[in-house]
Amino acid sequence: MNRGLPLRFAAAAKSYGEVQALKPTDLEVRDGEFLTLLGPSGSGKTTLLNLAAGYLEPSGGRIFIGERDVTDLPARRRNIGMVFQNYALFPHMTVAGNVAYGLTVRRRPRDEIARRVAAALAMVRLEEYGSRRIQELSGGQQQRVALARAIVIEPDVLLMDEPLGALDKQLRRQVQLELRRLHEEHRRTTIYVTHDQEEALVLSDRVAVMRDGRIEQLGSASDLYDKPVNAFVAGFIGESNLLPAKVTSLEGGEANVAIGAFAQNATVPAADGLNPGDDALLLIRPEHVRIDREGLAAEITEVVYLGELTAFHLRLAGGATLWGRQITNQALQRGMPVKVSWERAAARIVPKD
Amino acid sequence: MSKTPLWLKILAQGSAGLVLAFLCLPILAVIPASFNKASFIALPPLAYSSRWYEAFIADAEWRNALLASLHVAVIATLVAVVFGTAAAMGLHRADGRWRSLLTGLFLAPMIVPVIVTAVAVYRSALDVGLSGTPVGLGLAHALLALPFVVINVGIALRGVEENWLRAAAGLGAGPWTIFRTVTLPNITPGIVAGAIFSFITSFDEVVVAVFLAGYANKTLPVKIWESIRLEFTPVVAVAATLMIILAVVLFALAQFLTKSAGRRTA
Amino acid sequence: MKRRHIETLLLLAPAVIFLGLAFVAPLARLFSLAFTDEAGMFSTFSTLIDSEVYRRVMVNTFLVAFAVALITVLLAWPVAYILTRLKGFWFAFALYGVLFPFWISVLVRTFSWMILLERNGPLNRFLINIGITDKPLSLLFNDTGVMIGMVHVLLPYAILPLYGAMLRIDQRLLLASDGLGAGLFDTFRRIYFPLCLPGLVGGATFVFLLSLGFFITPALLGGSNAITLSMLIASFINDRLAWSLAAAGSLILLVIVLALLAVTARFLPFGKGVYAR
Repeated sequence: MNRGLPLRFAAAAKSYGEVQALKPTDLEVRDGEFLTLLGPSGSGKTTLLNLAAGYLEPSGGRIFIGERDVTDLPARRRNIGMVFQNYALFPHMTVAGNVAYGLTVRRRPRDEIARRVAAALAMVRLEEYGSRRIQELSGGQQQRVALARAIVIEPDVLLMDEPLGALDKQLRRQVQLELRRLHEEHRRTTIYVTHDQEEALVLSDRVAVMRDGRIEQLGSASDLYDKPVNAFVAGFIGESNLLPAKVTSLEGGEANVAIGAFAQNATVPAADGLNPGDDALLLIRPEHVRIDREGLAAEITEVVYLGELTAFHLRLAGGATLWGRQITNQALQRGMPVKVSWERAAARIVPKD
Repeated sequence: MSKTPLWLKILAQGSAGLVLAFLCLPILAVIPASFNKASFIALPPLAYSSRWYEAFIADAEWRNALLASLHVAVIATLVAVVFGTAAAMGLHRADGRWRSLLTGLFLAPMIVPVIVTAVAVYRSALDVGLSGTPVGLGLAHALLALPFVVINVGIALRGVEENWLRAAAGLGAGPWTIFRTVTLPNITPGIVAGAIFSFITSFDEVVVAVFLAGYANKTLPVKIWESIRLEFTPVVAVAATLMIILAVVLFALAQFLTKSAGRRTA
Repeated sequence: MKRRHIETLLLLAPAVIFLGLAFVAPLARLFSLAFTDEAGMFSTFSTLIDSEVYRRVMVNTFLVAFAVALITVLLAWPVAYILTRLKGFWFAFALYGVLFPFWISVLVRTFSWMILLERNGPLNRFLINIGITDKPLSLLFNDTGVMIGMVHVLLPYAILPLYGAMLRIDQRLLLASDGLGAGLFDTFRRIYFPLCLPGLVGGATFVFLLSLGFFITPALLGGSNAITLSMLIASFINDRLAWSLAAAGSLILLVIVLALLAVTARFLPFGKGVYAR
């Protein structure tokens, strides 16, 4: 059951004088979808969210919720649910008062408010906390009150601005799973802003990676990880080795590249916009680097024990360096000469920035 | 962020403007009144002249009142600054219950209605023979000024980090050297602000002065107070204008000093 | 005793002794006079309370203080609000507009109002010229004059705590309210106003307390037609040398002020955090 409406940005843009916080952007969030805006600070993700909420006025473009053009509507007429960073809970009201607020100002009947507030509190597992003061709650509980307050009004779109930023790591994990459970139950259209790539991967149907006021790539978690369109996305999602390479020829969806550092050639899936003669970067994920019987000669320069996994840093004969990762194995030691290879099928090329 | 509607903006700015005008403009009314040519107060004056300024300077009583005010204000400032600074430092070091108790005591002259303080101090000054002397009035004014020094120096002291003192002590400085080289330079703006507040508090003070000044030792506000009730001539406006000028100068001085202190620490 | 304690004691001693001798002892001496009248221990208080005239003075003092507190918070509201909204030059302009009167002697300010409110003064002429009245209004030597003058003197005391409260309001709370569907009026009534309330109550109480003990402004602008408690105390001494009555009046005034203070202490601006390290 989808309880939401699609949300669409059509060339939405925001600038402050000369500074473009958001370049003209098209983006459609499908109904019932959980879409995350991921990027470093200043990438425009919060701007995009505030445009959706109506807290900012776009300097160009239109915004639609369902069929409705909401560009000129103030936030209070958009029927959105917003969860703020640090929650913005009303300090002079109880938990129930906070959750009831959106219904109270909509002049719903008393008994209906009581019923819906109770249901919303039950949904975030705070049934017993209705009469508590906000100051008496822990950070995680406040976060859940903020969520209940946002969804009790049955918003067409749920907007969340780094809602887990104030929580410690352990709690964050737990709440992430909780958020996913709630989304799977209710399938409400959701836009979620974070700079934490792991959070984005755990929660989202699709992720939009943003940089410098524009969307660099939009796709599912595995799209972004397996087929990043550029070095920025490759670097932002997961860890990566990026080696300078040159495209030598294209053949039926495959590209042949010369890898300068290894004095080797390789065949990888072709990438948009890369033609023979272009400089490119070869992307090899650390888990695809293998210490083997055959391969290039290298020396281990660093070994980092991570528990189940061990990361290692290698210097190849030509001077190039690689990070690799494998199941912890006592045999690895710093200074050890080894042979290295990588899973050829998993390598990718991306344009040089 | 969400926009404030235009009508609300206009309403807020318009009414705030009117209230600010109500706060500031009436004060200035005495200035044109002081340049009146006639021998009664009228606003706006029918003809302008500086004759009442000449009258003010020529009149020994007004001159003496001005001098008495300065004399008293200097005594009050010195006493309040010395006692107040020491007290603020003591409070800063004192703990828990003593601190809140003594803070209450030091701020009490600000809370007790001035008329009550005035009557009480007057009675005791009569008993010990300090009534009608500059020292008596200066001490009474120091009483009213003390809270301002304690508050200002107290705020400044909060900017002096305990670790600076520990560092100085670790480098071998004794308590007096630490005070002179670390604490004092950092609380000087607070002391100066307290001193300026003290001076203006004493210089402007009427209620205690009316009781305590006596015949020979009238301060400027006392002289103004009596003149308003007896003669109401433009020379009162001259005295009032002088008080405004002094206040503006001190206000500007205080602003300048706190600003430049802020720059130094920034 | 540790050296540090002795130092602390030496720092505190001068001010404590000074306040003891010049403030606490005189107050105690004065209040003792209230109970040493020849007519009996509490005769001064019964004189004050039984007299119709004195009772009226006390009621009048309260009414004026109440009205002044009410008017100042109303007038303080727009100024405090725009102070939170303005920036740069206009902010400094408005802030100095509030702080400047603080520095001008109450006597000078009251004198200004005497000139302005006179029967043939500028305000009356202005009111006649724009046709609001055809006879000069009597604005001086009555409660109207007293209230105008006191509101003027005390207004900054109401503006600053209110401004402080408004400044502490997290702007995102207003955005949250807006996003949850509340209109301007709902956001004001349910969020903004309740959050301003501590500053409002603090400012109003402060003004009320100061009004109760006000002397110069009512004495000059009210004259014999609008006597307040503080004027009564002064006249006991100056006109009748009735020290015991003055002492009793002072004690009543102080007790009322302290009682109100105890009730509302948590709203008041002074001392708050000043010594919290």
